[in-house]
Amino acid sequence: MPIELLVQALLNGFGLAVVYVLVALGLTLIFSILEVINFAHGEFYMLGGFAAYYLFAVGGLNYFATLVLAVLLVGLAGVVAERLVFRHLRGKTLNAFIVSLGLLWVLQATAQLSFGVLDKSVPSAVSGIVRVGGVIVSRERLLVILTAVALITGLYLFLKFTRTGQAMRAVAQDADAAALQGVNIELASALGFGIGCALAGAAGALLAPIFAVSPTMGALPVVKAFIIIIVGGMGSLPGAVLGGLLLGAVEGVGTLFMSSAAVNILGFLMVIAILLLRPRGLLGAA
Amino acid sequence: MPPELRRVDGWIGFGLLLAAGVAVPLLTHDSYHLDVATVTLRNLLLTMSLRYVMSTGQLNMAHVSFMGIAAYASALLVTRAGWSFWAALPVAPLLAALAAVPVGRVALRVSGPYYFLISFAFLEVLRLVFNNFFVDYLGGPSGLVEIPPAHPLPLTGGAVTFTSKLAQYWLMLVLFLASAAVLIRLEFSRFGLVNGAIRQGELLAETLGVNVPRYKLGAFVLGAFFAGVAGVFFAHSQRVLHSSDFGLEPMVLLVAFTVMGGAGSVWGPVVGTLVLAVASELLRELHHYEILVYGLVLMVVMLFFPDGLVALPGRVARWFGRGRAKDGASTLGAGLAP
Amino acid sequence: MRMHRSIATLATLALAAALAAAGAVQADDKTLTIGLLGPLSGGAASYGVELMRGAELRVEEINKAGGLKVGADAYRIKLVSYDHKAQAADTATATNKLIFQDKVKYIIGNAVGATCNAAQTITEPNKVMFAFVCWGTNNLAPEKPYSFRSMLSQWELTEPFYRWVKENHPKIKRVAAISPNDTSGKDTNTAVVKALKALGFEVAADEYYERGTKDFYPVLTKILAQKPDMIDVAAAPPGEAGLILKQAMELGFKGAKGWTAGINPFTIISVAGREAAEGVWSPANINVKGDHVSAAVRKFGETYEKRYGEVPGAIAVANYAAFDVFTQAMQKAGSVDTDKVLAVLTKEQFQTVWGPLAIGGKETYGIDRQFLYPLVISEVRQGKVVDIAEVLPAGLKKK
Repeated sequence: MPIELLVQALLNGFGLAVVYVLVALGLTLIFSILEVINFAHGEFYMLGGFAAYYLFAVGGLNYFATLVLAVLLVGLAGVVAERLVFRHLRGKTLNAFIVSLGLLWVLQATAQLSFGVLDKSVPSAVSGIVRVGGVIVSRERLLVILTAVALITGLYLFLKFTRTGQAMRAVAQDADAAALQGVNIELASALGFGIGCALAGAAGALLAPIFAVSPTMGALPVVKAFIIIIVGGMGSLPGAVLGGLLLGAVEGVGTLFMSSAAVNILGFLMVIAILLLRPRGLLGAA
Repeated sequence: MPPELRRVDGWIGFGLLLAAGVAVPLLTHDSYHLDVATVTLRNLLLTMSLRYVMSTGQLNMAHVSFMGIAAYASALLVTRAGWSFWAALPVAPLLAALAAVPVGRVALRVSGPYYFLISFAFLEVLRLVFNNFFVDYLGGPSGLVEIPPAHPLPLTGGAVTFTSKLAQYWLMLVLFLASAAVLIRLEFSRFGLVNGAIRQGELLAETLGVNVPRYKLGAFVLGAFFAGVAGVFFAHSQRVLHSSDFGLEPMVLLVAFTVMGGAGSVWGPVVGTLVLAVASELLRELHHYEILVYGLVLMVVMLFFPDGLVALPGRVARWFGRGRAKDGASTLGAGLAP
Repeated sequence: MRMHRSIATLATLALAAALAAAGAVQADDKTLTIGLLGPLSGGAASYGVELMRGAELRVEEINKAGGLKVGADAYRIKLVSYDHKAQAADTATATNKLIFQDKVKYIIGNAVGATCNAAQTITEPNKVMFAFVCWGTNNLAPEKPYSFRSMLSQWELTEPFYRWVKENHPKIKRVAAISPNDTSGKDTNTAVVKALKALGFEVAADEYYERGTKDFYPVLTKILAQKPDMIDVAAAPPGEAGLILKQAMELGFKGAKGWTAGINPFTIISVAGREAAEGVWSPANINVKGDHVSAAVRKFGETYEKRYGEVPGAIAVANYAAFDVFTQAMQKAGSVDTDKVLAVLTKEQFQTVWGPLAIGGKETYGIDRQFLYPLVISEVRQGKVVDIAEVLPAGLKKK
């Protein structure tokens, strides 16, 4: 096994995982603050992708402006969803799950009706490849990786150092105590949901030129996101990153040796193993 | 015995199901209607057994997997080992129940949303196995085909064959009623009480001396058994098995039926399944709009009826100033808080 | 409270019965109801939607011309379609509904292999004619006399296609095939590998990916390590096929490209980009904008594009032609009875939008139920689809 092959495989895995980490972070943020498993999370990813399609591919807007706008639009959609629907379901995990399932179908059907069923391609913002030794990375993917890392860092700084971010963390830890301290729960809830969806939308917009967009594109990333946050630990940001790297490595290298179906099973077996050996995840909080 | 668990209600409810079930073939011999009724009964069996598991606070996403295990087991026993359908019928669900023991044990080591996610992981792993492994036996992506219908049953006056829709309906009805009788009886017994107590407060139940893990595992395994019964019927009526029948899509539909109806009551799944089955048939011609309307219905019902549709008459009664306050049928939210 | 619940249950049951009864359809004896099944939502929706559009166009043409004249009657054709979402269980229910409630005797249009099997357990015993584009090998068999495949499948395409490759591009020795991990994918790769081996090629890779995958770097890394001269994206649907080619190019692949199941090369161009799509060969599509197509095809393409905003792929054409074949057969038989029509179908050759069409396939399936029409091999050049060769599949004689 030539070493370049292995490195290429690892890089393949990481390159994608870092974007799925964005989706996972969004999901875990929403779960931490609202105690809701948003089954429709992948649809916000899809909305981000279509925002990129209409703004960049059709509208001809500058790519960076597209990203910013896509993130804002999807974030706004998230806030609307929270205000209309999810704020009534805080803490009611089961009911929220069913409602989010309904939302998933509503968004899917609307997307298929509005956007059509065929895949739509989004042109690359940058082209060309970068070669290091025998390993290849396309410039496009490099851009995606860097942007994703920037977003993750931004989120970390926001949660750690800003008042709003700290308020959100307080609500995640203990909503009642936070309320007693005067934290505006409604604001934290709306913002948390909005930011969570915005992260998914960012992932969708970033991956749009690489993978094309379609109304069903959100299904797979959400499954990956679930795996990542379980492995890394729900509610832990560094955990999500670690979980993503692990999943990326396993899937990237795994494909070299086994069939795709087996690789998929591997991911789920990882989940089961973690839940048995260390249920709170690798870096999960108590 | 607390008012909400009066055994008489169980018998009345069962009696209504029996009456309605027998009425259907008297009202119609139309193959399509019978087919819809048969599928509805099959779904009812699945949702009632799922609800039994959920009554202990476990949101089990692997329920259809056990249906699948029994379905494939029965199909293989009949086509490969030459068994009769009637021999496979009790054995295949037992196999599913046996498989449920280790899975349940593993899943029960975590709780709340982690339980949801680990059962979801099992669901996907099993689906991938059904789709991609042991292809010679399970059929792979093409599915397992040419499964025979239930073998003719020799009764006085000649053999009864099961190729007609009518015969299949009766078979499913008998299987359903037998299973429902067990589930309803359990619900209105000590088991039902204990399950409810576990769902509403595990810690408290434990301090009161309840062996919580054993009850939860018991419910899980029993649920798997009845899912298996549905699976055996499915295999020999559908006669084609494919991994997509045991994946996320059918599973979430079952959860939706159950919770929409009301997971706090044994009648919840009945209401939920019937309402959504009717809605599904009415909407079938609408293609994309079908999913849209379905989704909207789901959202609206859950937002306005957190306890499920089964609480509707009670709410209406309270509106008119009659009836008592909410009687203990809590949502599972309490049991799922991490 | 509990009595209220029981009443609720009873009321719902009554409502269900009432609604079900209300759903029964009144049959009109001058209307011919034809059914259609497909994945109309979800991931495989593009197939189902094309099936429907192809059907709709033909049905409208017939109705506008005064209806279908069979014997002494003129039938208005009514198309009823149901979405099975690529689920076998839903397919069974939908098929039951078509046959027992809508009373159809013809179901023209279905896609996704496993659903075909599910439908056939109901259509065959009820003598309902069933035409589909599913590629599962066991979908056509002597025990299933009422089932037809209306589009060339991998078994008819691979041998002529690779024979053409061998004769025209002798430098290609090692071929890699990649398909989605499902029925049509497995059958396609099997057919490709069989043809490759029979013709003396080396099989560089025989790989599968899960439907819905977008990232092919891992599997392509594995494939490219085998140094293939040609990559065949076999049964991959347009979106995924485009991604595979684009990513292969990024990873440095410069060899030949084929798409055995390439039913809509226009989509692949837009997804892969001009550079990556350059040179892709497809034996399975029809290029409605090509130079050599008949006026009928061109008109079909224009009508379709005007109405739906997208260029039709082979599936839309196939179902359009299928409606044509069955209605012509009804007219020749002088009846809409399926057994009478069946007798006519297997004896005649038909003229359709594909050109001459015969029904054969006995050597492969044991029974003649496969639509056979000329295969056009096209190549993508500079962002355009160009027809470069026409090949007749075994079993079709040019009239």
